[in-house]
Amino acid sequence: MNKSLSRLFVILCLFLLVISGCGFTDSKVNKREKVLNLSLDNDIPDLNQVLTTDGISFSILNNVMEGLFRLDENNEPQPAMAEKVDISDDKLTYTFHLRDDIKWSNGEPVTANDFKYSWLRAMHPDTSGAYADILYNYIEGGEEYFEGKVDESKVAIEVKDEKTLEVTLKAPSPFFLGLTAFATYFPLNETFINEVGEDKFALKADAILYNGPFVLTEYDQAEGVTLEKNSEYWDKDNVDVDKVTLKVIKEKSTALNLYESGELDRVYLSSADVDTYRDSDEFGTETEFISWFLQFNFLEKPFDNVNIRKAFQLAYDPEQLTKTVLNNGSEPAYGLVAAGVHGNDEKTFRELSGDIVQPDYDKAKEFLEKGLEEIGELPKIELLTADDTVAKDTATFLQSEFKRNLDVDIDITTKPYSGRIETMRESDYVMGISRWGADYNDPMDILSLWDGDPLSGLRGNYFNEKYKRLIDDASNESDEERRLKMLIEAEHIMLEDDGTLGPLYFEGKAYLQKPHVKNLIIHPYGASLELKFVKIE
Amino acid sequence: MKRFIFLRLVNIIITLFIIATVTFFLMKLLPGSPFDEERLSKLSDEARLEFLAKYGLDQPVYVQYAKYIGSLIKGDLGISYYYKGQTVNALIKDRIGPSMLLGIQAVILGLSVGIILGIIAAYRHNTIWDYFTMLVAVLGVSIPNFVLAAILQFYVGLQWGLFPVAYWEGYQHTFLPTISLGVTVIAIIARFTRNEMLEVLQQDYILTAQSKGISECAVLIKHAIRNALIPVITILGPVFVSLLTGSLVIENIFSIPGIGSLFVDSIKMNDYTTIMGLTLFYSAFFILTILIVDLLYGIIDPRIRIHGRE
Repeated sequence: MNKSLSRLFVILCLFLLVISGCGFTDSKVNKREKVLNLSLDNDIPDLNQVLTTDGISFSILNNVMEGLFRLDENNEPQPAMAEKVDISDDKLTYTFHLRDDIKWSNGEPVTANDFKYSWLRAMHPDTSGAYADILYNYIEGGEEYFEGKVDESKVAIEVKDEKTLEVTLKAPSPFFLGLTAFATYFPLNETFINEVGEDKFALKADAILYNGPFVLTEYDQAEGVTLEKNSEYWDKDNVDVDKVTLKVIKEKSTALNLYESGELDRVYLSSADVDTYRDSDEFGTETEFISWFLQFNFLEKPFDNVNIRKAFQLAYDPEQLTKTVLNNGSEPAYGLVAAGVHGNDEKTFRELSGDIVQPDYDKAKEFLEKGLEEIGELPKIELLTADDTVAKDTATFLQSEFKRNLDVDIDITTKPYSGRIETMRESDYVMGISRWGADYNDPMDILSLWDGDPLSGLRGNYFNEKYKRLIDDASNESDEERRLKMLIEAEHIMLEDDGTLGPLYFEGKAYLQKPHVKNLIIHPYGASLELKFVKIE
Repeated sequence: MKRFIFLRLVNIIITLFIIATVTFFLMKLLPGSPFDEERLSKLSDEARLEFLAKYGLDQPVYVQYAKYIGSLIKGDLGISYYYKGQTVNALIKDRIGPSMLLGIQAVILGLSVGIILGIIAAYRHNTIWDYFTMLVAVLGVSIPNFVLAAILQFYVGLQWGLFPVAYWEGYQHTFLPTISLGVTVIAIIARFTRNEMLEVLQQDYILTAQSKGISECAVLIKHAIRNALIPVITILGPVFVSLLTGSLVIENIFSIPGIGSLFVDSIKMNDYTTIMGLTLFYSAFFILTILIVDLLYGIIDPRIRIHGRE
């Protein structure tokens, strides 16, 4: 009996040992604090601003770091670390004047050197990540530096003094100030990185030096982060929230339960839940700068024929797709550049360029007949799509629309997400459902992808001399009006004249948000989460 | 006995090597890379290859394989591609705690409740007790644990507020996931115990014991249960396996930072080193569990012990 008792004791001890070792986190909250509780839909891959590529990491970084500018609620860049900027007449040289009272979270001042160090690091062949091009595409000498051809003295980033930074661009880029609000453009403190060591940098909350409205106090890739107000932040008087928790919750239904129980202040809905909550005061939708489209491959039959392309382009109704199939806040697309992308001071690009591709089944049939006269018979057509539910539903919708409106049978091929991209890159498809999420708030971001230099399977191997010239000219044009006109013409050429692709929708999300949370801004691209302006009532 | 364990350990190493090899090549058949391919699509083909070269992913698969096995022998599982900068060893170390705790609790819960239910059912054969236990067992096996988890989360967590809905912030947070995982174990063990008990209760030695005038209770505990439980140990191996695979979903539902959800994500993200590390970890775990079960079996029933030459 004694023996079995002691055995039981050993087992119990082992059990307690396991429990004590599994690291529960403590989440006691001071009642008077203003706390915002949000969720992240996946783990946090990497908070190293130079290397990271995903939206979750960008969203966290955007609130604990700050660039020269910060986006406001209309996605327009406003002075942040910089107090003001002087732009030369040729729109090529930007002189940033930094604020006097900006500090790192350890109390040291943020200087122009911190920006130069960070930007060079982001472009250096050894330290750069997949976002290096968001700097070297614009900064004079950057691309040569990235390729290892020149040293840093040839990169046009100049520290005039502690508080003045001068940057020269390759070409006039009206969206450049917006870029300086992006994570890859945030400053870094060289001394600090050397102290913690390159390989340990940004792996823990205390291995990052912060200069944004918040600092990280807890960071666990699988559990989430806790942000607290940064007492060294220059604009701390305008930060209302004391603490924000962002917890990893992968299941939408779990997040919804937590929202209902009051443990979350905002939650994204799955399309199955949208109808249940549509009439609630807490319901809302937001659209992102993510364009979904049906890409035709110009090198494969039958889509080497323009009339066939146009027939398929006009034979479905995007509105039906967003309303009946997706039902998640997405907007129907009648052009390529997403709704809301910057145009001029009054209107968005989409408003200026108009609805270019509108469903017209009679016209579609005419185009099909005309095309068939030219090519004879339609070969077997396969539609390539990724294997997630939304992409598959979209494919099935198109399949039934083509059957109904064109009387054409197509097959659907599904591949995993990266398999879909690989197949398209290798040009091994006839048509495929594809997407592009904007890196910056300008139509150039998406339109330049189809310049056909070099030909890309992902862009349907499209090349049109006139289109390329318009894109090139627009890149070098310093007059905003003329530049805009060129981009509008380019979009019309690619969609109307060439039928390069069929616009499907601009991705949206439906959400619920507690009424006491105000001014929570979600930018439609890049680092989307903006907590600085949140007010809790 | 020592020789038996030694041979089994050699066997385990060979098995793990084969698993590592097969997994490596299968994994390389997955399309894409561990990086954001949409983002990389903006680069020219050369720039893209250069980027992959930084991570040694431009080399032929057999070279990558040789390198991987080389560091594996040193016990180094490599650096994760997705969780940049993190070693896979550290990732597993950080995430194993919650999964282990849930697994052990579910087994303890499943064994204790399952055995008791099984014994009652057999002892009160063809009574309401028996029918009730078997109803529980059938439901437990046929309702997938993620459905049960969702139901528990909604009613017990949200509507009744008895336990936390999700997260991993204190011991009470382990209750619902443990029950979700444990019910299947209860069902399996209860059915198994009942069948074994029924068989044992009909044996001659039980009749002998009863005829000797030993109390009902003593017969049950000393003779029946002990003999009936031996085969239960054999199914502990498969039960553990089902717990670990089951925990993949349960961890996601309750937002628990365990290795189950890490495994699912690593496959989605093509995070090669993490896929390999976790596959090997799971395999080693399963194989060791089977070894331990075999050894336990020998301890409990001396007749099947393997004797070395004496």
